[in-house]
Amino acid sequence: MGNRLKNKVAVVTGAGRGIGRGIALLMAEEGAAVVVNDLGVSVDGRGGDTSAADETVAEIAARGGRALVNHDDVSSFAAAAHIVETAVKEFGRLDILVNNAGILRDRMIFNMSEEEWDAVIRVHLKGAFNCSRHASVQMREQKAGRIISMSSTSGLYGNVGQANYGAAKDGIAGLTRVISRDLGKYGITVNAIAPAAATRMTATVSDEARQKRSQAGVAGMGAEARSLLPRPQREAEDVAPFAVYLASDAAAGINGQTFVVMGGIISLLNYPAPVRTITKASRWTPEEIAALFPSTLGMELFNPAPARES
Amino acid sequence: MGEMLRGRVAVVTGAGRGIGRGVALTLAEQGAKVVVNDYGVSVDGREPTSQPAQEVVDEIVKAGGEAVANGHSVAEWQGGGKIIQQAVDSFGRIDILVTCAGILRDRMIFNMNEEEFDSVLAVHLKGTFNCARHAVPVMREQKHGRIITFSSGSGLFGNPGQANYGSAKAAISGLTKVLARDMGKYGVTANSICPVAATRMTMTPEVIKAREIRKQQGIVREESALRQLENLHPEDVAPMAAFLASDYAANVNGQFFLCAGTSISLVALPRPEKTIYKEGRWTLDELDEIVPQTLAEGLANPAPPRK
Repeated sequence: MGNRLKNKVAVVTGAGRGIGRGIALLMAEEGAAVVVNDLGVSVDGRGGDTSAADETVAEIAARGGRALVNHDDVSSFAAAAHIVETAVKEFGRLDILVNNAGILRDRMIFNMSEEEWDAVIRVHLKGAFNCSRHASVQMREQKAGRIISMSSTSGLYGNVGQANYGAAKDGIAGLTRVISRDLGKYGITVNAIAPAAATRMTATVSDEARQKRSQAGVAGMGAEARSLLPRPQREAEDVAPFAVYLASDAAAGINGQTFVVMGGIISLLNYPAPVRTITKASRWTPEEIAALFPSTLGMELFNPAPARES
Repeated sequence: MGEMLRGRVAVVTGAGRGIGRGVALTLAEQGAKVVVNDYGVSVDGREPTSQPAQEVVDEIVKAGGEAVANGHSVAEWQGGGKIIQQAVDSFGRIDILVTCAGILRDRMIFNMNEEEFDSVLAVHLKGTFNCARHAVPVMREQKHGRIITFSSGSGLFGNPGQANYGSAKAAISGLTKVLARDMGKYGVTANSICPVAATRMTMTPEVIKAREIRKQQGIVREESALRQLENLHPEDVAPMAAFLASDYAANVNGQFFLCAGTSISLVALPRPEKTIYKEGRWTLDELDEIVPQTLAEGLANPAPPRK
């Protein structure tokens, strides 16, 4: 047992399994009292089996840590308030929020239903907002806090068939950048982790889809680095140490950043930035842009999915 | 009149005013037939009227172009469907979708209510999805299409008080990247413009008041940035949108462009700036030692704690 998070109180959403479970266990091991939140649904958000969160709590207790279970739905504004209330009522405060709960409903955009879109956005993006919103009030009063949200390389670079998930995860990166600026002056930091790990959720992405993505050259930056590692070496638990680091006092100065974590690789991502610029004293015409584009902005542009010859 | 979009059919959402209006006028000027969509609400999303869309249609027709007005709300799944259907019913196809519709409800995260978050997400993000989702089956069938979404510097860089807007705009950029990958092989491209312009939405009384305060405090840098904002006309964004909608941009896909007045920049997606690596899992002792001298070295806190 370490003491990096001694006397701290953490909420970890989606902590019944996978990455969330790993983070909850390690935070407890470092002395935090943990609210283990998990709605207990299947990967696509349906069904109910709340035992996973109970098992995480039992595991923490067996190792001498402090934890309690919570089954509230992060996608409900009111239920998210209850998660934060639970931490404050049972453990007296809230220092750390980890927004990790998520579901998947992959489908090509031209076949995606409204329900598939809504469900994924609701759990990931609205869920992260709901919990952050309620936590920020408490943390602002304490003049201390850590919010760590899970983004994804799918959001940062785009994966085929994940319009809903990619939008939600990039949305979380945007939320992180904004609220780091809203909350920094109150001693609160807000950062995002884009994890790559073999979990129950990613197991639903078929090997065929993975193969298609790599053949189509849509692997992107994440997959490039990923190829350095054989799959079994990227375990869900690998994400936990860096999450704990961000939650600790040592990371007080790290705010508004996104980190990719996969296996033993941890990368700081830069902010999006203009790389090439054309400018003119008066308004461009579309014809002028068309003439100039190929030799300026359009040089060596990568098309992630070129049109098929028909 | 230009010829770059002769025979093309376009839908522009939020085209009653500001950037959307400029895009609709320019697409029409280049020969496209345009569905001018605008729900006609105030900046915060209230009090709909069909007046603004009709005025832009009148302007296009007067200049010798073809256009029809549409007053459906993009925030509704069925509204998105009806907007696209009007293009197909009126003009036989849909080649170009430009999603400009948006509202603002700024508030610090700790004071933001659920309705403020939901309404901004509904118009920007769900609105972009609703229209794109209904357009793509037709574009896929045609083996041709251009989707131009509007993201924002707020989503990419983070503006205080915009948890709703920043999330929505960043999510639109995520959606655009997937659209590019899902649709590219069918001859459909998806790109995003991050505009910086002085519009009804950005030049709010709060912005103007904040500028006054900064001026009094002598914060020159901010002041000059805002003076610049006044010179960034919403019409300046339109030429780039027209280019992306044209055949010249057939192989431009999944890209982001910052349009600030007459400056147009290609924006690079986030890249790993610094990386640490080891075989197997890091321990906390190792991270404590190595992170400060590597990943965290020289990192600036965008909002440092108050003393």
